[in-house]
Amino acid sequence: MKKLKNIGWALFAFTTLTLMSCSKDDDNDSNNDNNKKRGTLAVRFDNVVGSEDMQLDSAGHNHYHYTNSNGQTFGLSLFGYYVSKIRLTGPDGAVFEDEMNVSPNPDEVKGYYQVLESETSSQIISLQNIPTGTYDNISFIIGVEEDGVQEGAAGGVLDPANGAWFWNWNAGYIGIAMEGNAPDSPQEFVDWGGGFVTHANTFAIHVGGWKDLPADSNGVQNFVNNIRTIDLDFTSPLKVEEGLNPRLHLKVDALEWMKASNLDFATTYSVHSPGAGKAFADQMNRIFSVDHVHQ
Amino acid sequence: MFINRINRGQLITGLALSWACIFAFISCQKNEAGTEIPQDKTYTFQRPDNFPPPTYTFENNPVTEEGFKLGRKLFHDPILSRDGSVSCNNCHIQAVAFADAQQHPLSIGVDNRIGKRNAPPLTNLAFMKEFFWDGGVTHLDFTSVNAIEADFELDESLANVVRKLNGKPEYPPLFKEAFGIDSITSPYLLQALSQFMVLMVSSNSKYDKYVRGEAGGQLTARELEGRQIFQLKCGSCHSGELFSDFSYRNNGINSDFTNDLGRALITEQESDNGKFRVPSLRNVARTSPYMHNAKFWTLKEVLDHYDNGVKDSPTLDPLLKNNSKPGIELTEEEKEKIIDFLQTLSDFEFIADSRFFQQD
Repeated sequence: MKKLKNIGWALFAFTTLTLMSCSKDDDNDSNNDNNKKRGTLAVRFDNVVGSEDMQLDSAGHNHYHYTNSNGQTFGLSLFGYYVSKIRLTGPDGAVFEDEMNVSPNPDEVKGYYQVLESETSSQIISLQNIPTGTYDNISFIIGVEEDGVQEGAAGGVLDPANGAWFWNWNAGYIGIAMEGNAPDSPQEFVDWGGGFVTHANTFAIHVGGWKDLPADSNGVQNFVNNIRTIDLDFTSPLKVEEGLNPRLHLKVDALEWMKASNLDFATTYSVHSPGAGKAFADQMNRIFSVDHVHQ
Repeated sequence: MFINRINRGQLITGLALSWACIFAFISCQKNEAGTEIPQDKTYTFQRPDNFPPPTYTFENNPVTEEGFKLGRKLFHDPILSRDGSVSCNNCHIQAVAFADAQQHPLSIGVDNRIGKRNAPPLTNLAFMKEFFWDGGVTHLDFTSVNAIEADFELDESLANVVRKLNGKPEYPPLFKEAFGIDSITSPYLLQALSQFMVLMVSSNSKYDKYVRGEAGGQLTARELEGRQIFQLKCGSCHSGELFSDFSYRNNGINSDFTNDLGRALITEQESDNGKFRVPSLRNVARTSPYMHNAKFWTLKEVLDHYDNGVKDSPTLDPLLKNNSKPGIELTEEEKEKIIDFLQTLSDFEFIADSRFFQQD
C-alpha cells in the first residue's frame, strides 16, 4: 500500500507539472508584448477581363460582354479558384506562413480559401497574426495540394456538399474554374437529370489534378499535377504591425489567361481532366498580378 | 515552490487525475486472481499481426462505437440514393465478403441502371492506398462520394443526402453522439461510412491462421503445394499478405479497350489503356464473378484464361509475355492445386461477423 501511495504522489506531481506547463503556455499566448508584434494584412482579389471589371451572367445567357484574342465574343457565368499556403516575405527576413489545417469541422479548416467572383466576401482574405515587419512579396498556391487531399473528408470550403469543387472519379479539388457563354462554342444542350443541365454554346474550363508521383520504370510520368505557385512582388513594401491596416490589391485577369493559353472556343470548350487542363495551368502565373498596395 | 503556485481547484483536479491514472494503471494490470481483465475492443481497429501497416488516416477519424454504428446504419439505408431504392449493401453483400451478388455481375444502381464494372469486395480497405478498379480515388473517405453521386450507382448529390439526413429525425442525434455536431455535414457522413468500412478486416482465414501459427491453421499437403505453385506463377502480382501489389496491369482480358480504358481514364496515358488494379485475392473463392468486367464465373475459368486465353495488345503486362505465347503456362493439376490454396483465403468469421449486420 505504501508503494501505491508513492506512485500516487509521483503521478500527482507529474499531473501537476503537466497542468502547470499548460497554463504557462496559455500565459504566453495572452502576453501583451507578444501581441504587439503581430499585425494583419487584407489581400483583395479583383477579378477582371482585360481592362473591364468582371461581371457574371447566368449560364445560357446571350450577353456577350467581352471579346477574346481570337476575336470571339463571350460572357462569363463562373470564375473562381482555391488559394492556399499563403506566404509573405520581406527584404529584412520577415516571414509569415498562413496556418494550414484540414478538418471535417469547418471552423478548424485553416488556410484554404475559395475565391469566387459570385461572392464578394470571398474576394478579401484577411491574414491575421502576422509578425511585425516589412513585407514585399506574396506567394500562394492555386489549388489544393496532396497534403490537403490526403487528409480525407473535409468541411468548410472543402466540403463537396457545400460548394467545394471536387472531382469524384479522379478524387481531388479543381484549382481554378471558368465557365461562360460563347456563340462559337459547339457545346450542345445536355440534360443530366435532377435539374442539372449543360446549356448550348457554353464553355467550362476546370483545371484540377494534384497527383505528383514519380515516373514509372519506363519513364512514363503518369499524372499531371496542375497545382501552381504564384509568386508576386509588391509594387512597394508594406509595413505590418498592430494598429496598421495594410492592404494588398491583386488583379486576376481572365482575358489574359485566355490569351496566354490561346483559348479557341470552337475547339476548346469542355476541359474536365488534368491532362486537358495542363495548358491552362501552365499560363496561370500570367493572370495574377499586384495592382497596388495601401499602407 | 511548485505547490505554492497551485490553487485549490488545480489541487483537487490534480488529485482526481492522479487517482484516475492509478485506476487506469491498475485496470491494465492483472487482477488479484491473476487473470487478464479483457478490454472491449469490439469497435477498435486492430492490425492483424501478419498485415502491413494501415494507410487510413485514423488520426483524423478514430473509430468509435457510435461512429461505427452510425456508419453501419448509413451503409444499409437507401436514403443515400436519389429515389430511396438503393443502398451500399445492395452491391456490397457481407455473405460474399462485401462484393456484389453473383446475379449482379455488373453493379446495378437506381432505375436498374447497369454499371460498367463488377463491384469490388470491401475488404481490408484500411490497408489500401487507392480505390476502385482504376485507382482514381486515393482516400477511403472519398470512395463514398463516388458511389453516392455516380449516375449508375446511387445517382444522388452529396448535398441532397446531407439535406435528407438532417430532415430525418433519427439521424441528427446519432451524428451528435458520434461526432458532437448539431447539424450534419458531408465530411461527417463520409467519416461515419469510413469508420464502418475500416473495421472490415478479413484476417481469420485458414491461411491467416496457418501463417500466424494458430489453431485451425493446418494446411493440407495439396493446399501447401498449391501455395508454392501460386507463389511461383501468380505471386509477382498477387504478392504480400493482401495478395496484391496494387499495381495496374493489363492481364489480357481484352485487346480493344474502347468500352473501358481502365487506368488510362485516370492517368490519361495511352500506355495505361486496358490496365486495371490487381485485385486482392482474399475471399476470392466467394467473390465470383471475376475481373473488372465480370468475365469469368469460376476460378478455373480464370486460370484457364491465364493459361491459354490471354489476348495480346500493346499494353499487355510484360510478365505475361515470358513464354512462347502470351500468358502463364499451367497444367490442369497445377490449376486444381492453386484453387485448393485459394480456398484457404476464405474467412468465414469475417462473413459471419455480427458487427456488420444490419440492425435497424
